[in-house]
Amino acid sequence: MTGRHGIDRRSVLTSAALGGATIVGASALGGLDADAAFAAPMPSLDPAVSRSSFVDGRVSRIKGSTLDVVESDGTHRLVRLTNATSVWKLETVTAEAVETGDGLYARGVEMPDGSVAADAVWVNIVNLYVTVRGIERSRLHLSHGRNTLVGRIVAKRTTASFRGGALTSDLSQLKIGHHAQVLGAWRPADDSVDIARISVGH
Amino acid sequence: MASLTTDLAPLLLGVLLAATGAGKAFGRRVAGQAAGTVLVRVLNDGRRATRALRVTGAVELVVAAGLLAAPATVLPGIAAAVLGAGFLGYLGYARATAPESSCGCTARADGPITWRAFVRAGLVVVGGAAAAGARTAWWTQAARHPVASLALLVVATAVLAAFSSDLDQLWLVPLRRTRLRVFGHPLGTGRDEEVPVAASVELLERSLAWVAAAPVVRSGLIDHWEADGWRFLQFAGVHEPGGAARPVTVLFALDPRATKDTTDRPAVRVTLIDDRTDEPVPVDLLA
Repeated sequence: MTGRHGIDRRSVLTSAALGGATIVGASALGGLDADAAFAAPMPSLDPAVSRSSFVDGRVSRIKGSTLDVVESDGTHRLVRLTNATSVWKLETVTAEAVETGDGLYARGVEMPDGSVAADAVWVNIVNLYVTVRGIERSRLHLSHGRNTLVGRIVAKRTTASFRGGALTSDLSQLKIGHHAQVLGAWRPADDSVDIARISVGH
Repeated sequence: MASLTTDLAPLLLGVLLAATGAGKAFGRRVAGQAAGTVLVRVLNDGRRATRALRVTGAVELVVAAGLLAAPATVLPGIAAAVLGAGFLGYLGYARATAPESSCGCTARADGPITWRAFVRAGLVVVGGAAAAGARTAWWTQAARHPVASLALLVVATAVLAAFSSDLDQLWLVPLRRTRLRVFGHPLGTGRDEEVPVAASVELLERSLAWVAAAPVVRSGLIDHWEADGWRFLQFAGVHEPGGAARPVTVLFALDPRATKDTTDRPAVRVTLIDDRTDEPVPVDLLA
């Protein structure tokens, strides 16, 4: 995607970064990608996290960059998206990709008027433990508990990880009968799931 | 052949309705299953919905008994066709008003209403009409033409199985397995070798650079692109030197071919860029 600032913004950032960036090596652990939406809350030393608010519900109305979200108990919460908000809907997208009826999980900072200025928004994100029941070129047949489910394979978006390996777009190791964890974006229109990541043997 | 089909229709339909009717009338999970159907909304009560499902099951059992015991009479066939038409109406209503609701058709499947449910209900209508036209008892026909009857029963059972999601485990999955074996893995070739962005993000999140920048980063991935042999990953953050917060762009750059399989110590460029001036913020994240 070209991002909300376009190509020009990218070249400004690129030259700024290549000019005087710190290079950091070595490794450690952490995470703030789509997985983080499901991570168990844990105490953080970062004061920003302790100030974070969370909103989880369905988008009932969109007005400009403000989303009216109805939580499961019927409470309405206003979620404000800014240029600094990341929006995930199978991949990194812009705020325009959010539609009425979408499920939404947002993390942000509560404003004095009760709305939440979102830092990160995950749209229609689902995390399922499934069994692979069929493999086709563009979709997987999955069973989840007693239900069957179609998982769509989206070119250049769907990735897989086998036995703890790095994410890859090569799905050829996938087999019928595999137990897998699927992270993806639910499609309300036909109740299928666009697969972002399928992890096998973890 | 046509008369053989109509004469055996009561047997096939009778066994089918006996099975689905018994499931609904006596099944232990019926209460839980009724909760997922559109009946709950129509009857406004889970217990009434369960009762409705059990009564439907009982009616199916009575019709099944009629079909099996008195196959040469018209009434059981007509009753079955009416029952099938009722199922079709119910499915149409549920599909139109609550597409996510469960079908409740066979007392086993919890899945939403699919075209297979409609075909199955349609088969009950057709089967009922055929059964109403039966002139000879099925046991007499079966005794007269044992081979043809058996073949017909096998074909009819296969057709019914194809339209019943409960039986997928028995035939559909083995069929798919065989297809993979014969035609090869459909996802085996033609995939590009490029490292997915998700793999770069995964590598970044295991790096020291990420841990060092974590107090500043607020958003998830906002944008990504490749330039000058680097893959750039853009995040938004807040830099608070001495309590004065200012919005910054946090830019990470790493080797676009690196994954956690190829390196566990990735070199990552980290830059903070002030959003108001677009100038890099001089800061030592490791300090």
